[in-house]
Amino acid sequence: MAVGVPRRRMRAMTIGVLIVFSLFAGQLLRLQGFNAAATSAEALKGREYNKAIPALRGSIVSADGTVLASSVERRTVTADQTAVCTYKVKRSGGTVPCAASGITAATKALAPLLRTTEAKLRPRLTGNLRYRILAKDVSPMTWRQINKLGIPGIYSEISDDASATRSYPTTMTAASLVGYLTNDGRPGGGVELMLDKELGGTQGHAYYEVAQNGQPIPSARHEITPAVPGDTVRLTIDSDLQWYAQNVLAQKVNEVEALSGTVVVMEAKTGRLLALASYPTFNPDELAKARGSLSNLALTDVFEPGSTSKVMTAAAALEEGKVTPSTGYVVNDRIKRSDKEFKDSHDHPTEYLTTAGVLAQSSNVGTLLMGEKVEPSVLDSYFRRFGMGAKSGVGFPGESPGLFPSWEKWNGSQRYTVMFGQGISVTAVQAAGVYQAIANNGVRIEPRLVESLTDGKGVVRQPAASKTTEVVSQETAKGLRTMLEEVVTKNGTAPQAAVPGYRVAGKTGTAERYDEKLRKYSGYTASFIGMAPADDPELVVAAIVERPIKGHYGGQIAGPVFSDVMSYALKKQGVAPSTTATPKVALKLASPPASTDTSVVRDPRAGELGRAGE
Amino acid sequence: MSAHPHHDRPLTAARTPSWWHSPWGHSDWGLLIAAGGLSLMGALLVWSATASGHGTAYLLRHLFNIAVGVALAAAVTRLDFRTLRALAPWLAIASAAGLVLVLTPVGTTINGSHSWIRVPGGMSIQPSEFAKAALCIALALILADRWERGEQPGTRDVLLSAATALVPIVLVMLQPDLGSTLVLVALTAGVVAASGAPKRWLAGAAALGVAGVALALLTPLLSPYQRDRLIAFADPSADPSGIGYQTRQVRIAIGSGGWQGQGLFEGRQTQGGFIPFQQTDFIFSVAGEELGFLGAAALLVVLGFLIVRILIIGAHARDAFGRLLAVGVATWFTFQTFENVGMNLGLMPVTGLPLPFVSYGGSSMFACWLAIGLVNNCHVAAQERPGRR
Repeated sequence: MAVGVPRRRMRAMTIGVLIVFSLFAGQLLRLQGFNAAATSAEALKGREYNKAIPALRGSIVSADGTVLASSVERRTVTADQTAVCTYKVKRSGGTVPCAASGITAATKALAPLLRTTEAKLRPRLTGNLRYRILAKDVSPMTWRQINKLGIPGIYSEISDDASATRSYPTTMTAASLVGYLTNDGRPGGGVELMLDKELGGTQGHAYYEVAQNGQPIPSARHEITPAVPGDTVRLTIDSDLQWYAQNVLAQKVNEVEALSGTVVVMEAKTGRLLALASYPTFNPDELAKARGSLSNLALTDVFEPGSTSKVMTAAAALEEGKVTPSTGYVVNDRIKRSDKEFKDSHDHPTEYLTTAGVLAQSSNVGTLLMGEKVEPSVLDSYFRRFGMGAKSGVGFPGESPGLFPSWEKWNGSQRYTVMFGQGISVTAVQAAGVYQAIANNGVRIEPRLVESLTDGKGVVRQPAASKTTEVVSQETAKGLRTMLEEVVTKNGTAPQAAVPGYRVAGKTGTAERYDEKLRKYSGYTASFIGMAPADDPELVVAAIVERPIKGHYGGQIAGPVFSDVMSYALKKQGVAPSTTATPKVALKLASPPASTDTSVVRDPRAGELGRAGE
Repeated sequence: MSAHPHHDRPLTAARTPSWWHSPWGHSDWGLLIAAGGLSLMGALLVWSATASGHGTAYLLRHLFNIAVGVALAAAVTRLDFRTLRALAPWLAIASAAGLVLVLTPVGTTINGSHSWIRVPGGMSIQPSEFAKAALCIALALILADRWERGEQPGTRDVLLSAATALVPIVLVMLQPDLGSTLVLVALTAGVVAASGAPKRWLAGAAALGVAGVALALLTPLLSPYQRDRLIAFADPSADPSGIGYQTRQVRIAIGSGGWQGQGLFEGRQTQGGFIPFQQTDFIFSVAGEELGFLGAAALLVVLGFLIVRILIIGAHARDAFGRLLAVGVATWFTFQTFENVGMNLGLMPVTGLPLPFVSYGGSSMFACWLAIGLVNNCHVAAQERPGRR
């Protein structure tokens, strides 16, 4: 009947309701009971925010505290466009609606702080993007002002663009030494590369789960490991001295139209490098325009040292007792060894020189006569102790160990050429190291560029002490210094290197330059390496000029550079002028020795040349 | 009628307090407690969903809505049963007037549907919610008459019902509010079926339903906004930042709740604000994420209990009017729960329908409590006039 039908239908409806609800419960069970873990993981992936916090790169400062490189914190300001439009808009109902007036207000407030115009800024704040970069390289102070405005959806993050936040206040002066960062923020050379790990600090990490509006969810896991800023690296370099040396060098290189040049200033008693000038150089703030060498030539460029190496030959012969400072030599114009004829820089009649005279006049023939008294293996060991064929120990990137083959591999004439510094190659720092050993009474100290590292908490770390090597005895060193003082007199090769008021000992070098491009000897390397005050040396200066066009003698070209830099350095370091006079040293024998005088060194094969001296 | 002696229990009458004999005493407490429980559970969930962005603002409004709703229900319960029947045509007309008003410039658009009337005091009301209650009463009135005479409703009654229902259905469709339109259609079908209308009409209605779905999918009858939702339902990855994104985030929220949930105010998806309109359309996902399977299932059980309770009250109603009224309300709640929970679980396409009593929203809350008042009124009437079969 009519009444029965509705009852049946209502029962059916009730059953229908129960079935639907059971189905829902089933789906709920499937989602939450069985698929929960996978769904949770997927959800987490969507919310997780795991970001590296860049560490502030440490500064590089000179020994006197001048900043050579430093980084500043810079921020990237971003906008969530869907939130910006609610700025200063009245709340209606539970939510704050988006409005054009919000964007207008935000644009007006932000434009001056971001140093842009409202017309340019407005489109960047308008739209549906959740993340839009508004400005990079914003200073923390500007960000604090922006943040104070309280505009919704405006955020900032520490910029991880290290190259943009790095500045080099001294520009060219120490550029090749300090190095630079490439566009991707990686170190490109110099100390920046050498101590990248220490300068770079340790990245921090931020982990949190972000809400839809980009803010962290308070109830979720939240971990922030702050970044540890990089160490401040203090170099041994004196910024004034570096500046001075760099300028003197640049002037000279340009004046004589040379290819390049280097100046090394080293503390004689510690091995600390006070200046490492290298020219041509570059401006690290404008890398793209760089034309000069991006690396420091004093550590990376090798050259045949020439006559400055004669001190090593003399040191070996003296230390081995083969000669004394007053030993006489019969120096002919030519000498033939291993089917090769050697001569001095100027033709001359047969001379009768002492060991001091040989050095002062830089006689190749005399040096050869002196050097061949020492066994090749012994000579080799002296050269090596002077630092030949091994990296200086500074650890500079791209540093060269020079070229010094083992004595067993010396070919015929090489046995003789090494004695006056040809057929081997060195860096300017290696060459300076030889004179440091003589200045320091025979003890060579590995050169040092880094004074200390200071971490963020102010804890100072010193690098490991430099390795020392006893090369020759104190007497030999002292004797050599006395002889080398003659070089800067009018009797020697480099009166231009003298420093008024100070006793200077040093040696010129005018080496034939091997040109890698031409694959042959072409041009010269002019150098002067010396120390002062000669009686108790404090400083060693090496000045090297590569392939000068106007002139080529070491004394004439490098001598004045040495004198200028040494003079400035002595005053800068407060070294008292010398009070003692240069001892008198005989450079020549009083009279030609009798041919029977066995104390005199002469060429036993002189006759073979067929034109004995006078 | 308030001091009516309880004739079949004379011994206890002396000890029965006086309020027992008021309409409150005859109330169906199971119904009221279930509705109240759902409302309070909704308050907690709404609070949790909005706390991170708005503090207690939504909670307070929700509690206020509950209070207004309960007051409305109390008022309706107190109405005389006959007065209610007499008022029915006027209510239907008032509801239609409200719906027409929405279509005039007085109406406001919120979230793509033009369903609101802004009233002074920063509130807006949604006439389509009240239309559901009004339609229940109107249909019950039309179909009860014939039943009370022991006859099957004829063609005339069915057509009259359909015509009456068509007024709010068309008006709501014009807004356009697809969800509410479907509720009204389901409600009409439920009441007509329960009235004992001939099978051919039911078959016809079913055929019409199928034709409607086909039309919706194949012709530009639906607004682009509505079609997007259907497409997103079919393939959630089609538009990950739009509606597809929403359904995916909801699914993630419910899924990561596990058995016991992440705890109230602890749900990452909820507190992170990943789900738009979570306090209204997706309130169920808050329960799913923060209270887990146990909480969400409990919510379903209480909703199920409430609906079954309404049907039982209907079965025991004093007259056909009460019975059909209860069926109407039950169908309405069932359909809305089905659609809302269904879309939360990814079983149904997204249409903006609130979960009765739980979702945030004044109009929906008022209308639901109004319906509870109506059903409770039936129950009270049945208690007061014994002699029901």
